[in-house]
Amino acid sequence: MTITLVKKILQDGSPCAKCADVLEKLEQSGHMDRIDEILIADERDPDSPGLQLAREHQVNRAPFFVVEREGQAPEIYTVYLKFVREVLEQETSESDELKEIMKDNPDLDFL
Amino acid sequence: MTSELLNTVDLDDELQKASPQKVIEFALNEFDNIVVSFSGAEDVVLVHMAHQIRPDIKVFVLDTGRLHAETYRFIERVREHYGVDIDVLSPDPEALRDMVRKKGLFSFYQDGHQECCGIRKIGPLRKKLQEVDAWITGQRKDQSPGTRMGIPVIQDDKLFARPDGRLVKFNPLANWSSQEVWDYIRAMEIPYNELHDRGFVSIGCEPCTRPIGPGQHEREGRWWWEEATKKECGLHGDNVK
Repeated sequence: MTITLVKKILQDGSPCAKCADVLEKLEQSGHMDRIDEILIADERDPDSPGLQLAREHQVNRAPFFVVEREGQAPEIYTVYLKFVREVLEQETSESDELKEIMKDNPDLDFL
Repeated sequence: MTSELLNTVDLDDELQKASPQKVIEFALNEFDNIVVSFSGAEDVVLVHMAHQIRPDIKVFVLDTGRLHAETYRFIERVREHYGVDIDVLSPDPEALRDMVRKKGLFSFYQDGHQECCGIRKIGPLRKKLQEVDAWITGQRKDQSPGTRMGIPVIQDDKLFARPDGRLVKFNPLANWSSQEVWDYIRAMEIPYNELHDRGFVSIGCEPCTRPIGPGQHEREGRWWWEEATKKECGLHGDNVK
């Protein structure tokens, strides 16, 4: 299994806060060594590796994870806690996961 | 059904120019297992449009348990008027009980609406979307300028897709303004939630919704105590396409 994390650099050159938060959580939980590669999606550079990967998988947000297993189609995770639960096989709280979804997807506010 | 072959990015370019009716027609032609999300507000136009094409269209409502009595009455009115099957979804009782026991009934006024909405809306929504191949929402770009400008008409919904499957999301009203929605409601004499006649523009849960005055944006009628925050997780659309 190969895991790629894509993190974002904003138009003004600053790092995306959510990406920094996810990286910190991976470090604190000791899971950083499970990540094989970290790619940058630089909003100032459409050809940056992270944006190329986002285009390839039609992902419109960051951070996200691409999980590749031999003989299977790549799986995309845009919800960190879902990735932790399903790929890293760590227990997470469903309410925390749902809260993360709401925080990251303000378009769901009006459903 | 050719959904596996759909390239939603290319299709979005094409469908951005199409009318909501054409988008819904496309969606219903493409998918049998498709459902309309109805909030009990002006997105009733989706039910109307879809019902004209497919009279037995499936509809669901997220019943948070905190909706206005007027909204519940309106949901029933729509069910009777169109004769459609409306699946009224409730939150997971254990998760809800746990949150209320720990934080009370109005914790969203202190620490934001995301946790409450997560349990009352997103949990049931996620579960429901595991059953279908596509869904239709009433999301519009003008509902919350700044966070919704990039709403596509059709998108691959990776957030709620089954682990081994694909979910396509249609937002037929993405390019309509609130005025256009209301012009259509009036012209077609579509039933609407009586709260709209009392100054409510965007309608959600009772504690989180208030009427607004002339010139106010509809977002000001929802979660008004929270500071508007800038969404920064989206990847700039021009770069992704």
